[in-house]
Amino acid sequence: MATTNVVTNEQYNYDIVRKFTIMTLVWGAVGMLVGVYIASELAFPFLNLDTPYITFGRLRPVHTGAVIFGFGGSALFATSYYVVQRTCQARLFGDGLANFTFWGWQAIIVLAALGHVMGYSQGREYAEMAWPVDVLIAVVWVAYAAVFIGTIMKRKQPHIYVANWFYLAFILATALLHIFNNLAIPYSLTGSYSLFSGAQDAMTQWWYGHNAVGFFLTAAFLGMMYYFVPKQAGRPVYSYRLSIIHFWALIFLYMWAGSHHLHWTAIPDWTSTLAATFSIMLLLPSWGGMINGIMTLSGAWEKLRTDPIMRFLIVSLSFYGMSTFEGPMMSLKDVNALSHYTDWTVGHVHSGALGWVAMITFGAMYHLVPRLWNTQIHNPKLINVHFWLATIGILLYIVAMWISGIMQGLMWRAFDDFGNLQYSFVETVAAMFPFYVMRALGGAFFLTGMVIMCYNMFRTIRKGNANVAASIATAAA
Amino acid sequence: MEWLMWFTQFENTKPLALVIFFTVFCAVLFYVFGSRQRGARLESYKNMPFLDEHQDVKGN
Amino acid sequence: MKHDKIERNIGLMVVLTMLAISAGGLVEIIPLFFIKDTVEVVKTADGKDMVRPYTPLEQLGRDIYVREGCYTCHSQMIRPFRDEALRYGHYSLAAESKYDHPFQWGSKRTGPDLARVGGKYSNDWHVQHLNAPRSMVPESVMPNYPWLLENRLDYSNVTQRMSALRMVGVPYSSNEAEYKRNVDTFGEDVANTLRIEKGEENLIKQAGTGNFDNNKSDVTEMDALVAYLQVLGTMVDFKQFDDDYFAKFR
Repeated sequence: MATTNVVTNEQYNYDIVRKFTIMTLVWGAVGMLVGVYIASELAFPFLNLDTPYITFGRLRPVHTGAVIFGFGGSALFATSYYVVQRTCQARLFGDGLANFTFWGWQAIIVLAALGHVMGYSQGREYAEMAWPVDVLIAVVWVAYAAVFIGTIMKRKQPHIYVANWFYLAFILATALLHIFNNLAIPYSLTGSYSLFSGAQDAMTQWWYGHNAVGFFLTAAFLGMMYYFVPKQAGRPVYSYRLSIIHFWALIFLYMWAGSHHLHWTAIPDWTSTLAATFSIMLLLPSWGGMINGIMTLSGAWEKLRTDPIMRFLIVSLSFYGMSTFEGPMMSLKDVNALSHYTDWTVGHVHSGALGWVAMITFGAMYHLVPRLWNTQIHNPKLINVHFWLATIGILLYIVAMWISGIMQGLMWRAFDDFGNLQYSFVETVAAMFPFYVMRALGGAFFLTGMVIMCYNMFRTIRKGNANVAASIATAAA
Repeated sequence: MEWLMWFTQFENTKPLALVIFFTVFCAVLFYVFGSRQRGARLESYKNMPFLDEHQDVKGN
Repeated sequence: MKHDKIERNIGLMVVLTMLAISAGGLVEIIPLFFIKDTVEVVKTADGKDMVRPYTPLEQLGRDIYVREGCYTCHSQMIRPFRDEALRYGHYSLAAESKYDHPFQWGSKRTGPDLARVGGKYSNDWHVQHLNAPRSMVPESVMPNYPWLLENRLDYSNVTQRMSALRMVGVPYSSNEAEYKRNVDTFGEDVANTLRIEKGEENLIKQAGTGNFDNNKSDVTEMDALVAYLQVLGTMVDFKQFDDDYFAKFR
């Protein structure tokens, strides 16, 4: 047994994948905990405790940073390093470099969170990190690209599997977006002013913001989907040719749609119209990909009943389909006039982030952990518990946000019989209260599921480590 | 830089972009679905995630 | 030979992917930097720019606005709808944020839009409201910001800040020629507030005369933030323009 392990270790670098897997779980729990806390602050403002460090405005980037870059980012590092090795049948390029991406990335998440709490912010959504952290991100990202592309270059398979295309596009696009959106002139170690101003700055930021969703939270997770759904189902993806079309159409169309975040603002009308058009077109590759994923299970639908991991993966694809339908709808200017600035947007983001990104990550992690630690899952029943807590949590969350968002949008534009505004702003705030409580509750459900997963995985990993120790002891004896 | 202005006019760029992108799209479609032989080759790649199956067996 | 081909494939993949992802961004963003009429021309009758860069005190207040993440709950972008006109005022112009590094248009209105909050409430109201929002608006969910009154404003690096902004295109003047240009563009009174070498002096002066925090002896963070809030949306005098003047820029 001991020799088997050594051989496995030599063939593939699993050590780096294990590290990132553990941090995925840690950042997931931390980031969602902060999320539940700030959701509660909106319902019960005394929770801000008159302390600068934990006000909503400072904690919100801590939440988004920890879940997107900590949880999502670590999951992508872990799975991309795993998938690229297994589908290229080559060991990861550059052990030292890969380790650098791990420690560098973790340092980035910690520094960013501490910085946000201290109030060091660039004031750009999802890119709040102060400029030194941005520099570190760029350095780590180049190392990541080198490791990933280096591994592909030494592959033993002539063809590059499609999952790796998606990961590759994610790495390239993220580099491009990150660099251009963070161009700034520093005035101190923690502060800087963006190179662009006003309308140009808005366009740059939402080009980044939209495509961070498009490539970080969509394309890369589709890469995850194209490996882990077939693997867990034990059957190849529905259509490989569809996946090729899916890839090119998706990465091409996404970049055009950014300014639908700026409908009715002080940018030229044509940019809005263009973005709305491409947003509608995006529906096609999005649903193409969803169908490709779900149909992989065609002929083996009973797995949905018997395999809770499969259930995570397939339900995540359903949420992907739902939010990629909702998105283009909200990019229509008339719908956007109602939905923009309201909780509907927040609900939409979370149906994608919780329903798609987090659920597919859970599925992939449940698939990955037993294989990485060479053991069985501690308690498979807890996966099912996690699944239902997560699903109920998401439903509570998005239903609350639909109601509060549409309600507030309608209240803002309501007129009385004399043509005056019917509601003052603060009346619409007061009306949000029950839905803010409901949303926090939904988040708490989701967080509980996450904590149960952490416990289950912790026990699984400990069991795996004990097995290894035991087998080494037997071999030595 | 004056020539860039041409691209800022919607009436110029719309048909241009449409022609370019539609051509590329058709080319991709033709490449993927145009030939039965190539199609079979492409579809064979979908088994790549399973080529390392012996690893799992050894692991367990 | 075979290795060669493999390398070329991944290289080709990278190039094609970059091409596909670059197209959309280029088409959307690049033209904005070339079209002059993206930003409206807003001048007074005697030809002075109405929209001016922030004074040093206002700019430091803006930096506090960014630090506290106000944009996570407040937008600064009024849309051209009837209800928003009644609630907030004239829709926002691109020109009004042309000196905003970074822009703070926001994406969520947990609280109301602030693009034209300047002059709507008294300084005293703002101080009390920032200190304890629910003492003024019982249903508010905004956090209390008591430290704004307690913290002395750190303006030690105000010249570095103004110089950095000058580098990204805000016309703060660092020499006589730039000052003269500012006199031409904005008039003498405004040009005097844009001199980098006088940044600290001007900041202290404005905090004293403006008395934003009801405390003449100290320059607090409250001074700066309220000074910023009070200038928001007040620079353009819409009475001087026809309604359809701004439409042609959109």
